[in-house]
Amino acid sequence: MLLVSESAPTPHEAQAALAEANSQAVRVRHADHQLGWIVLGIAAMYLAVGALMSTLPDPRRAGPVVGPAILAIMIVGLVGLVFVGLRIRAYSRTAILMYFGGIAAFNLWNAIVFGVSIATRWFALTQPSYHFGISVVVAVIPLLVVAWLILRR
Amino acid sequence: MSHPRHALDDLLAHPVRFSISALLFAASKVEFSFARDHVEVTDSMLSKQVSLLEQAGYVKVDKGFVGKRGRTWLSLTRDGRRAFERHVAALREIAAGENSLASPAR
Repeated sequence: MLLVSESAPTPHEAQAALAEANSQAVRVRHADHQLGWIVLGIAAMYLAVGALMSTLPDPRRAGPVVGPAILAIMIVGLVGLVFVGLRIRAYSRTAILMYFGGIAAFNLWNAIVFGVSIATRWFALTQPSYHFGISVVVAVIPLLVVAWLILRR
Repeated sequence: MSHPRHALDDLLAHPVRFSISALLFAASKVEFSFARDHVEVTDSMLSKQVSLLEQAGYVKVDKGFVGKRGRTWLSLTRDGRRAFERHVAALREIAAGENSLASPAR
């Protein structure tokens, strides 16, 4: 398959070469999707912990079962993320910027959500457990947005 | 006005080297086996063409380990990126020539 001749390519050959360049770019964008799945995995771990906390009668006194359950969620999640991370064989600059930008935005937004939740007594002893779950759902928004941005490319 | 073919890069005119460069242009880093699978060439062919691009200063090769497995990562250098951009711009101009012939002004 000759895309570009050694001397002067014809317009048709030039178009074929441009199409080839485009198809290679599409392949890299597909490879980027693995970063999107890692972000979704982090969000899923966080939501699972939030859901667990929401089901407790008093999340502030979690008890002996919840601690190991949260630890198990984190370990299984981390093993999965490392597995996906090791399988990544190509990534674009845009996707890696989105990935680290998304993690940074999540950390900042998560701190704000939990800071406001404590300051407004949303997490007070008199409040129901599902308040933890609602805060977690709000906090995880940046991760979901970034995962969507990466996966739709 | 000179013909756009003069702006073409001889090194990138080779179809395999062009495909490798196109893949690396879209990526920040690409593993050797990923490039081999997607450009559809053998290991030796890819090594040979990557060496030529590396000698020209267009491609950077990084070797590392993930656990006990060796991995080779490829990326375009700044010069490689510029050369590919110039080459593609020239190809676009040449391709545009056909469009203007195909649809003459009425």
